Amino acid sequence: MNDSPALRSFIPPYILNRIIAHGSEPQRTAAMITLHHVQNLLPNPGPPSRPPERAILPPPGKPGVAQRSLHDAQNKMLLPGMPVRMEGQPATGDAAVDEAYDALGASYDFFWKVLRRDSIDNKGFALVGSVHYGLGYENAFWNGAQMVFGDGDGEIFQRFTRSLDVVAHELAHGVIESTAGLIYANQSGALNESLSDVFGILTKQFVLGHTVEQADWLIGADLLTPKINGRGLRSMSHPGTAYDDPLLGKDPQPDHMREFVITQEDNGGVHINSGIPNRAFYLAARALGGFAWKKAGMIWYDALCDKRLNPDADFDAFARLTVDHAAQRFGAREVEAVRQGWAQTGIEITETL
Amino acid sequence: MKTLPALGDDARVRLSRQGGFAAIHAFSRPREIEFAQCDISQRTRICSVLEGCLPLDSTVSGRGDQRFYQIEVNYRSGEQEDRMVLKVPEDQAPGELVHLWDTGQLL
Repeated sequence: MNDSPALRSFIPPYILNRIIAHGSEPQRTAAMITLHHVQNLLPNPGPPSRPPERAILPPPGKPGVAQRSLHDAQNKMLLPGMPVRMEGQPATGDAAVDEAYDALGASYDFFWKVLRRDSIDNKGFALVGSVHYGLGYENAFWNGAQMVFGDGDGEIFQRFTRSLDVVAHELAHGVIESTAGLIYANQSGALNESLSDVFGILTKQFVLGHTVEQADWLIGADLLTPKINGRGLRSMSHPGTAYDDPLLGKDPQPDHMREFVITQEDNGGVHINSGIPNRAFYLAARALGGFAWKKAGMIWYDALCDKRLNPDADFDAFARLTVDHAAQRFGAREVEAVRQGWAQTGIEITETL
Repeated sequence: MKTLPALGDDARVRLSRQGGFAAIHAFSRPREIEFAQCDISQRTRICSVLEGCLPLDSTVSGRGDQRFYQIEVNYRSGEQEDRMVLKVPEDQAPGELVHLWDTGQLL
């Protein structure tokens, strides 16, 4: 699948890397110059250096205790909005505020109890969230300092705090910027998106106590209104099957490299091609059985934190690291499960690091 | 900062809103404006909107599920087709740009 042929495409970094590895000398030189240029064009913001301006923050806590600060944007697009619930304060009765508060707490707990990570920067960074952002706003995001949630339009989307995995997904974006800093374009961008989905879905499974067999593996399962023919926004187990609706169209996610989508939309299809590593994670977790966070989740987190993971890493580079960490942390059975998971999506890892 | 090239009869401007957690193609609502169909006044005003977006172009647009406006300008430079892309973060997008994308009308 491609964009209109009339539009010129640029060469994604993973192809430049292939040219550098296998091309002729002039090709290699040209590709290296281009890659260097591309990397300069795409700086990653890195870990958050400070909380959002004007946010009311709870006092510094201790490791293992979340420090949440919820604000109400009052349907404006100005952040962070009015402070409405600080850490330890009782429920407000506003569903969006209380859902976000609970989901941020659950996400913090998942990262702390399972991965021993103390918040976004591993130094207890305060979790600031704003709800009721904009009017009928159909999005949730991490802006480098805080998380933001819209109410949805009520026709297609309900409020974005309804799905725990969505809140955890946004928090995970902060974690990814604080670790590998995967550049938000092309394959590294799709990995960035996939890893946010992975930690989002693991948070949900951890809270619900679901095994890989019990879990729904759906991202945003509570977002779509009943008017929409869909189960969620993305399916990690069967990418491309989450929705098929006259208004939304059909879920475009591929589940295999042979269907990789080359596009100039959405920074090179970061929310589309994430289906491939999502499926690889699901297959590895399914093969390992039990609770997905105990083995597959640990392996994926180890790979994310590995200094060898470059900001412009492609699927292949990340897959190699997961195989390596499966061996380091576990054993041959886990290595084979991870290797097979990737292989079934068209990413063959034959050499170890 | 990029500079806006001279845009003639062949120029086409494509506006779309992209990215976001729910990055669904149907929501990008791409709008294409052909300069050949615009009078001089309209072209001038569109170029003014584009000029205002030049300093807002950001290579990190979209990160962390933030939405952004993508402006693709296809134009002829001598004998060659050329193309310029701007990515403007949603929270910085000028009202004129949003209105043009949303309605196809100039403010």
